[in-house]
Amino acid sequence: MRLPALLRGYGFTIAGIAIGVAGLVALGAMGERIVRFIEGGDRFVLGQISVAGRGMGMGTGFTAGGLLPSAAIHAIAAVDGVAVVQSQIMLPLDPTTSQFMTLTQELVLGIDLSVPTPNREYPVLPVRLGRLLRPGDRRVAVVGAAFAASHGLRPGSTLTLEGERYEVVGVLERMLTAPDRFVIISIEDAREQWVAKDRLLRTLLASGAAALTAADLNTGAAVGWRDGVDPDELARRIAQDVPGVNVQIPSELSRLLRSSTAFFSALLVGIATLGLVIGGLSLANTIAAAVFERLRDFGVKRALGATDLQLGREVLGEALGVTLSGGGMGIGLAVLLGVAIDGWVGRQGQQLFRFSPRLVAGALVFSVVLGAAAAVYATLRVVRLSPAEAIRRGA
Amino acid sequence: MLRARRLAKAYATPAGGTHRVLAGVDFEVGAGEFVAVVGASGSGKSTLLNVLGLLEEPDEGEIWFGDGCVSGLSRSRRSRARGRWVGFVFQSFLLLPSLTALENVLLADRYAGRQGPAARRRALELLEAFGVLDRQDHYPPQLSGGEQQRVAYCRAVLNDPPLLLADEPTGNLDEANAGVILDALRKRAQDGHAVVVVSHHPDAVVGATAVRTITDGRLA
Repeated sequence: MRLPALLRGYGFTIAGIAIGVAGLVALGAMGERIVRFIEGGDRFVLGQISVAGRGMGMGTGFTAGGLLPSAAIHAIAAVDGVAVVQSQIMLPLDPTTSQFMTLTQELVLGIDLSVPTPNREYPVLPVRLGRLLRPGDRRVAVVGAAFAASHGLRPGSTLTLEGERYEVVGVLERMLTAPDRFVIISIEDAREQWVAKDRLLRTLLASGAAALTAADLNTGAAVGWRDGVDPDELARRIAQDVPGVNVQIPSELSRLLRSSTAFFSALLVGIATLGLVIGGLSLANTIAAAVFERLRDFGVKRALGATDLQLGREVLGEALGVTLSGGGMGIGLAVLLGVAIDGWVGRQGQQLFRFSPRLVAGALVFSVVLGAAAAVYATLRVVRLSPAEAIRRGA
Repeated sequence: MLRARRLAKAYATPAGGTHRVLAGVDFEVGAGEFVAVVGASGSGKSTLLNVLGLLEEPDEGEIWFGDGCVSGLSRSRRSRARGRWVGFVFQSFLLLPSLTALENVLLADRYAGRQGPAARRRALELLEAFGVLDRQDHYPPQLSGGEQQRVAYCRAVLNDPPLLLADEPTGNLDEANAGVILDALRKRAQDGHAVVVVSHHPDAVVGATAVRTITDGRLA
């Protein structure tokens, strides 16, 4: 029998399943979004050793350390096993919120362009438009996708930081993690930004009380390791050999990050469970109700000679057709809804949903399996009735 | 063609008791016979027909189709026996609303595994013979009661079953349509098939080879 004929009379059932699956997929897509954020951070911290100067200075990035002078950078580079050290400066874009480091804070990241990026997980950040920074670049910036969206930037746009004009030369792909809100500039430019933002530092430099050069102005460094070197061991060695630095052990930082995002993980499990329960119950109930609604029809079919097997095959075929149609429509509905909402919140640089292939495939398989199970259950109940009883009850 | 011995059937009542609907009924109908079963409402007419057509299991008694005893068969074997031996015409037509008139007629063949051009040709011939060929693509709600019963009759005889059971086949029809259906039932018996009609319609007994009256579950 052709599919349209098979599904005739199932309009409301398909609509009911579509709504259930849409809810499941939308909740799942929100969960996927959170997973991507957590996983992205985890990959980042496992890809490099992060070092900061010892101290409690706020506003120096997520490492929250103090100044990391040039001498310390050289000492780190000399530790056995170190492949590359990249000086970095991480500053809040808006210093008025620097005391409130949040997951959505916009940051200025200054990097030493004369050395390759040490992070093994992100050796090159993916660029959607324009290009990445090149050695020797000044007064140019590459911005994260969310930052670009919320500030209306694209290659060729001008961005003003602390009164200085920067040309945007590139926009990163949306990564659904921290770099989405970064403004990446050369470390030389970042040093000027830092001095402009920090009155205390400005006063200190002007007084000449501290013997600081521009090369000493670093908030941290990213350290890469040679092949075959254990990064955790290397991090401990750096901490031991180089005085005055805070070294993050990659695996410990990963654990710390995961424990600090435990709330999100719990939220995610809750969302997924809720989605499965709501979507699953709605779907199973709709399919079972659709079978029971046609009790009289099944009684008639059995009166005409349909065996249990024939009837079961027929119901299962219809259930699969209905769940596939409803599931497909539900996924389409959720994607439409998600794209519309993301389009709206995207103007503020936000993204709430992520429709991954595994989510879409999983939702479809879940729908079909649950639909089939509900259909089998309902059919077993139906065939136990005599045809006369089925016709009577279904009348 | 059909023989039944000592059929008994009782239903549980809401009060916890039992209500005996058939009490040791013997019944027989042969090829070419047209048997009318009459009786008051609630006398057990429809239950008798359901039991004879294997739509319901009796509590006691035995049923033979031809030389084979069909009592105690498994559910699937009962279904196959029903599909091979029996055609049904119901008072409320019982057409499937999601199928067209033609699809409803062809349903009988689907479960007999005989779908194909020949079945379709025969279905169209039957619809033409009963004056509903031009309604073949209509759905049941788009048909009048008389048209629906004619389509239901076509479905019942598509496989040419040796036994035709009709439960109040004219109960929801006007006089003209009732006449068409009763004529068709009589003709079917004359063509050598066994026909049993349960009805309170006085015209149903006209031309019957036997009239049996059922009272309180007993057949006279």
